[in-house]
Amino acid sequence: MARPLWSGSVSFGLINVPVQLVGAVRDLDVHFRQLHEKDGAPIETRRFCAEEDREVGYDEIAHGYETDDGTMIVLTDEELEAAAPRRSRTIDIDAFVDAGEIDPLLLDHPYILLPAGETDGVRRAYRLLAEVIEASGRVALGRIVLRAKEQLVTVGARDGLLALTTMRFHDELRPAADVDTGGARRPSAAKLKAAVQAIEAMAADWDPGDYEDRHRVRLQAAVEGSDRVEQVDDEDAADGGGRAPKSTASPDIMKSLKASLEKARAS
Amino acid sequence: MPRSLMNAAVVFGDVAVAVKLHTATTSERVHFHEVHAKDGARIEHRRFCTEEDKEVPYEEVVRGHEIRDGEYAVLTPEQLAAATPDGDRTIRIEAFVPAADIDPILRDKAYHLGAGDDAGAAYRLLHDALVKTGRAGIAFFVFHDRERLAAVLPHDGVLVLQTLRPADTVVDLDELRPDEGKDAPRAPTAKERKMAGQLIDALHEPFRPEDHEDEHRALVMKLIEAKAAGEEIEVPEAEDVETPDDLAAALEASLADRGHGGRRRRAAPKAAAKPSGSGRRSPARAKRKTPAKTKTKKKQG
Repeated sequence: MARPLWSGSVSFGLINVPVQLVGAVRDLDVHFRQLHEKDGAPIETRRFCAEEDREVGYDEIAHGYETDDGTMIVLTDEELEAAAPRRSRTIDIDAFVDAGEIDPLLLDHPYILLPAGETDGVRRAYRLLAEVIEASGRVALGRIVLRAKEQLVTVGARDGLLALTTMRFHDELRPAADVDTGGARRPSAAKLKAAVQAIEAMAADWDPGDYEDRHRVRLQAAVEGSDRVEQVDDEDAADGGGRAPKSTASPDIMKSLKASLEKARAS
Repeated sequence: MPRSLMNAAVVFGDVAVAVKLHTATTSERVHFHEVHAKDGARIEHRRFCTEEDKEVPYEEVVRGHEIRDGEYAVLTPEQLAAATPDGDRTIRIEAFVPAADIDPILRDKAYHLGAGDDAGAAYRLLHDALVKTGRAGIAFFVFHDRERLAAVLPHDGVLVLQTLRPADTVVDLDELRPDEGKDAPRAPTAKERKMAGQLIDALHEPFRPEDHEDEHRALVMKLIEAKAAGEEIEVPEAEDVETPDDLAAALEASLADRGHGGRRRRAAPKAAAKPSGSGRRSPARAKRKTPAKTKTKKKQG
């Protein structure tokens, strides 16, 4: 098993369940390292004090907050910890909410909580919590301190394990009302019907396994020197890509929808 | 509305809907720079060749993927560019799938789609038809030199594009599951289940995102202000917690605790002004011996 990212406990009423946090998704990206072209040796990043022009060690580095007038306020790791004292090792469950009420856009990163410890008491408490949460259809709300930052989290159940998801705070989600939707009126019943038909003609079951990570595949192929790397037309590369197709004009939508429908049915 | 990140078009069949991509999320976290603790000067990252032990200008840097320990496959900028297409700013929908079937664990970064020039009618039509069918469009699109899988879905009256993690990045839970073997723990008793269920019910509330403020952000800002005023910051110690052996007794005590405490009070959004120690803490938190508030004291001299 991967090394836990965090260990502590979930506090539910007066029950504390020691847990370890592991990622629910893993990084399968093709990673690159910077190398010196001349000798192929890896490049190493060294930290220098801009003032003294000398290399500094990790233990000499702190967090600087720049105020509006340009003053740098310096906080050490330990001082920052003071902002999250009691909770740093505990996920306090504050409340339970219906899982369906949570805006999915608030969900950030998924993790799994595993029981920490072999004792019967720990494993039983873990199992009880996972089972009752699963049966309730609810998720717990709590907070966790990860990398010196306190995050709001949901704790739910996934196949008998406790699943933790970090959340964004409400003010970290831009209001949908700010989005310019073009101000068009509701489409006519005929247009809506045609659009629904066009969508249904392209309907499929969702199987995420059908979609491979093409980016990863291409990079892997490039790394292996395979000829699977396609040369792309980079005519418009200078401005960061081609031009998007023009929007279908309102009077032409019906025609386009019908053409789409016929194509989808023919295929 | 901030500037759009990209002008693009959602295309399905013969229909194109011009859209503008905006980020749907912001980070309100307190931003810090890396500084030298001693003098508060900025830290610069400099590239050094590990072979020559001297600084290397950016032009001499290439990218290599480690194939074996210490052995790299080097990609030229041209090869790298060929593997990362520029894209044609088209979000071409390959299929429409039931939106509810998309596992939230796959949902990654979210963007708002605004209507592009003259696209209002087509935008509204796609939005309304997606609402009516309960489907999400699945598309590949290229953004920041990287092709990603994404879902286009209606959300709060607007279209949202959310990138989806590749399915194979999700960890197999059976690999994580603790090996129970012969000495599996005793199943929870009916009484324990019932009481735990009651505790969940007692803590149940409607989800109101505004009730959950980033208290840490506020505390960090307070620390910064205290530090700016020359105060010394006291560093707290962590405490140990234990799992009770008697689950039933602990649950009973937890339920009793809630009975006496009544409905837990929730802080109003402007709770920052209240004196410390009131309202906000849940009974579980209030039980902790040490207050969670930040202690500061004036520096001597």
